[in-house]
Amino acid sequence: MIIHCENVSKSYNASKVLDRISFQVTEQKITGLIGRNGAGKTTLLKMIAGFWHTSSGNLEVFGNDPFNNLTVSANTIFVDDQMAFPETLTLWDLLIEAGRFYQHWDAGLAGRLFEYFQFNKKQFHHHLSKGKKSTFNMIVGLASRSPLTIFDEPTTGMDSAVRKDFYRALLKDYLAHPRSILISSHHLNEIEDLLEDILLIDDGNLVLHTSIDDMREYAIAITGNYSQLDAWINGKEIFHKEKVGINEMYVIMKNDVPTEEIERYGFHISSVSPNDLAVYMTNKTRGGIDDVFDSK
Amino acid sequence: MILDHRSTTPIYMQIATWLETEILKEHFKQDEKIYSQYQLAEMFQINPATAAKGLTLLGQEKVLYDKRGLGKFVSPDAKKIIKNKRKNDVLVKSIEKIVMEANHLEINESELLQIVQQVYREKGGEGK
Repeated sequence: MIIHCENVSKSYNASKVLDRISFQVTEQKITGLIGRNGAGKTTLLKMIAGFWHTSSGNLEVFGNDPFNNLTVSANTIFVDDQMAFPETLTLWDLLIEAGRFYQHWDAGLAGRLFEYFQFNKKQFHHHLSKGKKSTFNMIVGLASRSPLTIFDEPTTGMDSAVRKDFYRALLKDYLAHPRSILISSHHLNEIEDLLEDILLIDDGNLVLHTSIDDMREYAIAITGNYSQLDAWINGKEIFHKEKVGINEMYVIMKNDVPTEEIERYGFHISSVSPNDLAVYMTNKTRGGIDDVFDSK
Repeated sequence: MILDHRSTTPIYMQIATWLETEILKEHFKQDEKIYSQYQLAEMFQINPATAAKGLTLLGQEKVLYDKRGLGKFVSPDAKKIIKNKRKNDVLVKSIEKIVMEANHLEINESELLQIVQQVYREKGGEGK
């Protein structure tokens, strides 16, 4: 067990950012943390890394309360676009210092990635562009080989070619050196193949914790005649419905109805990508962007 | 093969189907060791757990068998099992769809059979 999280809450002043979250992460998995802006992803990750206190509940990482804990900090790296490095050291010096700090550091990998992404040894971190900063931080995150590696929105500012390279490098290095990886992202469609499990949070609550394979089969989309489909879904659990075309309806619902029944009504079935499902499951009560314009 | 993310078929089943085709093409012969979950993960850029699920599926269908500690191997009956399964699952289901489409288009049985025969003459024997 790497992470044990039981009824963990976090509040700032009067507002609750995380509300009694419970889940467990077992060893050597890549887990994706998915949620909208402000859902509480960074707060959760920073508490796991031991940067921030919990407000209540029981959080254990490697069997310890992570806050101010030596075991946790020696075995964990937290990568985001705000990693702080000493301003007087060049990029190359930073890699050398990181090698002294992280027990499992792979200097060869760090050097090869450094060269591949065309960094200059004498450059300074604070002079890098946003995307280059993220790329350098990613190199540190991968080369550290930390038993718990946390990437919080690691691809901020990276162009799509670098993002692809990053995902590929992450998977290759994980296959060669399995470890526990937590990665938060807005781009679930880009990372879903890498993931084993997914944690979906919305507004401080845990919505779903499942394997990505189960999430791919969790829901189905049904299209059909508006009034027929509307009558049929009555009483069923629906994640999303919208009118399409002139009198057709598009519905996303839990995948627990036999295909034959749906086909008998002449409805059309299609799959729902984990990314779309995540969007719909975290968008239930607010309606859509169309409502903003329609209610004018 | 490129994975189809828009398909209703889950990734692990696409992996299983691809391996079946490799076996039918005899790229893997009887009692030969098949790709490991890690090799498949690397080839298709997927999580090894997803690849493992595809392998497990083929194990359950007796297409593959386990040698403890050595990996998964192609079982002697693999081709027979795959052909049987595909005939029932893929071929019959595909024909059901074709017949339904023919109904929509008001194409009768003999017309449809003619088309099938024509396509068979053109494409039959390909893909072996």
